Amino acid sequence: MVTTIEEPRIRPEWLLGGAVTLLGAIIIIVVTLILGAREDEPVVTPVDATELTAGTCAEDLRQPHWVPKTVQRAAAECPADISAAIGRTTAEDHLGTWIIYPLEGEGNDETFSGGPGLSWPEDEVRSGAYHPASAITYVAYPGSTELSGELSGDNVTVEWSDLADSGREARVTRVDNNGFGPVRVEWTDDAGSYLLLGTMGRTPEGGSGPTVAELLRIADSVAAEDE
Amino acid sequence: MPTTRTWLQAGGGTVAAALIIAAVVQAMSSSAMWVSNDPVGECGQTSGGAVVAAQNVLWAGTGLEPVDGAWDAESEVAAKAFQAYNGLPVNGCVDTSTWLTMRAYLISLCDPEYDCRGPDHRVRYAAPGGAREAFFADNECDWGSYVLPGVAASPVTSNKITALSRDAVVEIECES
Repeated sequence: MVTTIEEPRIRPEWLLGGAVTLLGAIIIIVVTLILGAREDEPVVTPVDATELTAGTCAEDLRQPHWVPKTVQRAAAECPADISAAIGRTTAEDHLGTWIIYPLEGEGNDETFSGGPGLSWPEDEVRSGAYHPASAITYVAYPGSTELSGELSGDNVTVEWSDLADSGREARVTRVDNNGFGPVRVEWTDDAGSYLLLGTMGRTPEGGSGPTVAELLRIADSVAAEDE
Repeated sequence: MPTTRTWLQAGGGTVAAALIIAAVVQAMSSSAMWVSNDPVGECGQTSGGAVVAAQNVLWAGTGLEPVDGAWDAESEVAAKAFQAYNGLPVNGCVDTSTWLTMRAYLISLCDPEYDCRGPDHRVRYAAPGGAREAFFADNECDWGSYVLPGVAASPVTSNKITALSRDAVVEIECES
């Protein structure tokens, strides 16, 4: 007796259904992975702050290797850009190169709504609620050997601070208005002179901007890769 | 007993020394012009070159516009916002401590030891979509304001240098 066992036949509709299911599953997985990656994208703070100016006119400039974690990006302005902004020819050979480091996070964003005027409530103005964006400005003057003229006044303090790693000294000028106000850190080395400017701003949240210690650490990091 | 000639020589020497001292004092006072100028606002000047200078900084720091050398309610609000953020007493008066705070934001465009001609200092604030900038001229000018197009309004002319120390809006040429 011969028994014929029929091999199970795969019906075409099963194949179609399976393919559609598989495709759907793949789409769901891919979309989930993409969305998940966006949500969990870590805040990338570069190991070396010079990466922030890569590809700009300032990439070869002597510049900070360290910036605070609240700095995620930088904007560079070179002598040709500055001369163009002025709208007249200036001695480009003697112009400095600027790097602007905007600070991220609460209290550091610009809060203006339209121009200043009566639409800004007086009590909010008095609290410091209307303020510009916080940023650290770095200017390098290659080949220069001098600092800017020293400021003086009742609310100005000028001190010299050691830059521990580079062995240099920086002049720290504070316009100290009850603990707030602009801070200038200036120093020289064999390659030029430099300036860092930040504002310790008064806001309703308490304050914004870099600390003096952070500015000094930035200054010290300029020489981080010197022999 | 000193002769007349001796007295004349001594007198002439004294006058010459006084002239030299006066010249040095004048030079020192010129270099400090930024903070030695009069208050601006309801407490002082409400028009002229000092108002232009204050408005130029306030444009960069708060978005005040136009810069026209006439102090108004918008200028006062801008001054108060600037003072509050910088920890100053909030009174809308650009007094010495406010002038000095503004001065600290001015950064030299050129090497500190090189005398640029024309606009040689800048105030720059990062802003959404770019930056707000105000320029000033120091060397040869005892400070002058250089206001960018789109910000200046009559009688202030853009891309010209307006003397800080004049009671009126006066253009000056700083280039040698």
